[in-house]
Amino acid sequence: MRKKVLAVLLAAVTSLSLVACGAEKAPASTAPAASTETPASTEEKVEEGPDQYGMQDGKFVETRHISVELYDRNVTEGTDAGDNAWTKWIQEQMLDRYNVEVEFITVPRWTEGDEINNLLAAGTAPDICYTYSYPTIQTYANMGGVLDLAPILDEYRPYVNNMFDWLTEDAIYQDKDPSTGTLWAIEGKRNEICRINTFVRKDWLDKLGLKAPTTKAEFEEMLVAFRDNADTLLGADASKMVPYSIGSDVGWRIATLIESFMDPEITDKELYVTGYDSRRLPMNGTKEATQLVNKWYNDGLVWKDFYLYKAGDATEDDMMKAGFVGAFTHNYDYPFRGNENSINAVLAAQFGEDAKFVAINPFEDKNGKYTKYNYGITGDRKVFFPATNDEVLASLLYLDFMSEASTVEFLQAGEEGVIHTVADNGAWVIQAPDEAHHDWYQNSGKNIDMTINCNGLRLATPELTDLSLAYSYSNVDVQDVQDAIAAAKLDWKTPKVPTVRAIEAEAEGTDLDNKRDQAFCNAVKASVADFDSVWTAGLNEWLQAGGQAIADERKIAWEETYGDAEMLP
Amino acid sequence: MGKNTTVAVPKKKVNWKIYLKRYWQLYALIALPLIYLFIFRYMPMKNILIAFKEYKLNMKLGDMPWASNHGMKYFIKAFQTPDFIKALRNTLMLNILDLIAGFPAPIIFALILNELCFKRFKKVVQTIAYMPHFLSWVIIYSLSLQLFAPNGGFISELIKASGHEAIPFLGEAKHWVATYVGMGVWQNFGWGSIIYLAAIAGINTELYEAASVDGAGRFKKMWHITLPGIKPTIVVLLIMNLGGIIGGGFERPFAMANPAVMNVAEVIATFVYKVGIKGLKFSLTTAVGLFQSVVGLFFLLTANWISRKLGERGIW
Repeated sequence: MRKKVLAVLLAAVTSLSLVACGAEKAPASTAPAASTETPASTEEKVEEGPDQYGMQDGKFVETRHISVELYDRNVTEGTDAGDNAWTKWIQEQMLDRYNVEVEFITVPRWTEGDEINNLLAAGTAPDICYTYSYPTIQTYANMGGVLDLAPILDEYRPYVNNMFDWLTEDAIYQDKDPSTGTLWAIEGKRNEICRINTFVRKDWLDKLGLKAPTTKAEFEEMLVAFRDNADTLLGADASKMVPYSIGSDVGWRIATLIESFMDPEITDKELYVTGYDSRRLPMNGTKEATQLVNKWYNDGLVWKDFYLYKAGDATEDDMMKAGFVGAFTHNYDYPFRGNENSINAVLAAQFGEDAKFVAINPFEDKNGKYTKYNYGITGDRKVFFPATNDEVLASLLYLDFMSEASTVEFLQAGEEGVIHTVADNGAWVIQAPDEAHHDWYQNSGKNIDMTINCNGLRLATPELTDLSLAYSYSNVDVQDVQDAIAAAKLDWKTPKVPTVRAIEAEAEGTDLDNKRDQAFCNAVKASVADFDSVWTAGLNEWLQAGGQAIADERKIAWEETYGDAEMLP
Repeated sequence: MGKNTTVAVPKKKVNWKIYLKRYWQLYALIALPLIYLFIFRYMPMKNILIAFKEYKLNMKLGDMPWASNHGMKYFIKAFQTPDFIKALRNTLMLNILDLIAGFPAPIIFALILNELCFKRFKKVVQTIAYMPHFLSWVIIYSLSLQLFAPNGGFISELIKASGHEAIPFLGEAKHWVATYVGMGVWQNFGWGSIIYLAAIAGINTELYEAASVDGAGRFKKMWHITLPGIKPTIVVLLIMNLGGIIGGGFERPFAMANPAVMNVAEVIATFVYKVGIKGLKFSLTTAVGLFQSVVGLFFLLTANWISRKLGERGIW
């Protein structure tokens, strides 16, 4: 008898534990299902009041439900990415204005691509998705996973005036395929197009009596001086000295150096044909730039461990904050990001006001100028609707809401006194919220992850935006930010975007970005004697994995649209 | 004989029902694991079909069109992809090295432990040796960075302090492979020794007493009693390991890899992740996965067959 009872008990416990596991997951899987059910019931109830889409006075008669992708950057001091004062505000606004319920689906920022792949394959992707990579969207489209926006925009054009005003017709239809007429994604707009800067420790220059370098040769001399004076600069920590720091994404971290080796008179055609890789691996000049870094690496001027840490790892930032790094190249505002945890704020707190990174222009091109590329207004994030989206109009209304200046202004700068104050000159100064308003913490700088089709500060007027740009970082010197913006703008160029058909090969390449990083990493850490062969091997592998096919097809596509022309009109 | 078997058939049927009635508690217990196996191991097998079809995001499996070349398009494509060939080569290389270095280690450790006289010391050593098994590979990689990073890694700094050049434990192919295999052995030898210790405990102690009477020393006893005593266990584990020679986990190579050593660090599991999951090439990577399973099965069957030919017990 006891045996029987025991057996039944054991079996029951095991099955209960299984049920328990299942129950935890239940809400996640039922939520998207709810969104698909709502429209069916509402469509039947079209009466004389509401229009054919179920709308009356710009508002749905029956509540609609959409889900929206949102990056989760997992900020230690931040709030729940999908549930905080900001997301609640958006949800209230959308419900109030359009009677649309918004649900946020958070995906980890650094693996967003994988996550969306899985959600799409499972048929549970958010109604509104965004990503930085057009080829990825092209891949989804080839598999039938994306809605064609061209007919959708034709049908609902009157509902999205704000979006057309903000993005303009050009940007909205930029990705429209000239041969098939399909439009898989809508380009978002960059409102700050500064891209990249090289930074150096101001106090180290002063200590060693050096001037800010203005040429590659001077830059190298400076690095050598840092290396040779490690004892003076770092004392007991001399062995931790890193004159120039780079990361495993080498192409990005030496981008201005690469651009200084490129031909300043490069044609639009060459820039496009060889320009698939955002790090410019196959371009003329990249090899020479990498060779110089290879020399520096072998001379002990570059961080020895650069290739060991994966994207998003904080080790290098911590090194900069600890004061071991002399110079680096990165986003134009990198040392100012992160409020009281920004690199410059942490340095100042430890070593005094003078200890800080300032922007310089040390890499001259063959004409002695500092040619560099800015981001361009488009080419940033792209928004697309998965094929499972059956709330197209509600989704478009969300985009329209996000295109309104007042919406973006509130998301970026919040209420006065909470997220911003107004300086004497009228500039808006953005700051981190205090303890009492912690729920208004911005998990991404200026809530960039929420302002879905705007990247960069956008206040009510362009004048106010320009004036306030340098004030949008707290705990750092405004003058340093203004200098960095000026440095990034010196001799800058805007890459032009041609209108060509979809490049099939871009969706076919295997693992190209990883291969490019491998090629760069191996070339930098090769011995000086081996550099040539290592570089060639890495580049060839990248070309064979699809890079060459992309360049070939881009050339054909260019010639289909522009014939023999080398430059865009 | 023939007569007996014909009589036995109806009897067996009756037996089965009797068994079910008599031991229903045990069957009830095993039902759940069986359901688990069916749902999570057998049901997904229908998706193997993706390897022979053109994967579409918006279609049901049955509606997807068949791939060209009689459905073999993606198998042909896999073998034309240099990355796959490389991943296959690396998988074999790393797993064979793992087998050579990692398979004997727990056996040797179990033999040594068995010879220890102090019970308490033995327990402490055993527990410490188990511990790494419970660390995830992400943690182990962080540990190895702390130890081996050329700048600031503990061991690297020791080597530099003694006036030598730092060894690129993680940054150069050959050294990385050694570190990879070494960390694998470190993680698993303690845990792996449990099963051998259990087998050793099952050996009849009278054999040792008899050997002692005959004048056998420690090594003689080890060689002639302990090792033959655990031989069946060794063989079973070896067969199972050979079955996994083309497989292998994802976490370890993924966590340990860095861009400088991808030439040797890319294995089938990471290739499938990068190309299949990240690059959304489900058909190609399902083909690769199926190939992997078939070869793994082949190894398993062959090893089992050889073992039985050589007079050892197989795994069935």
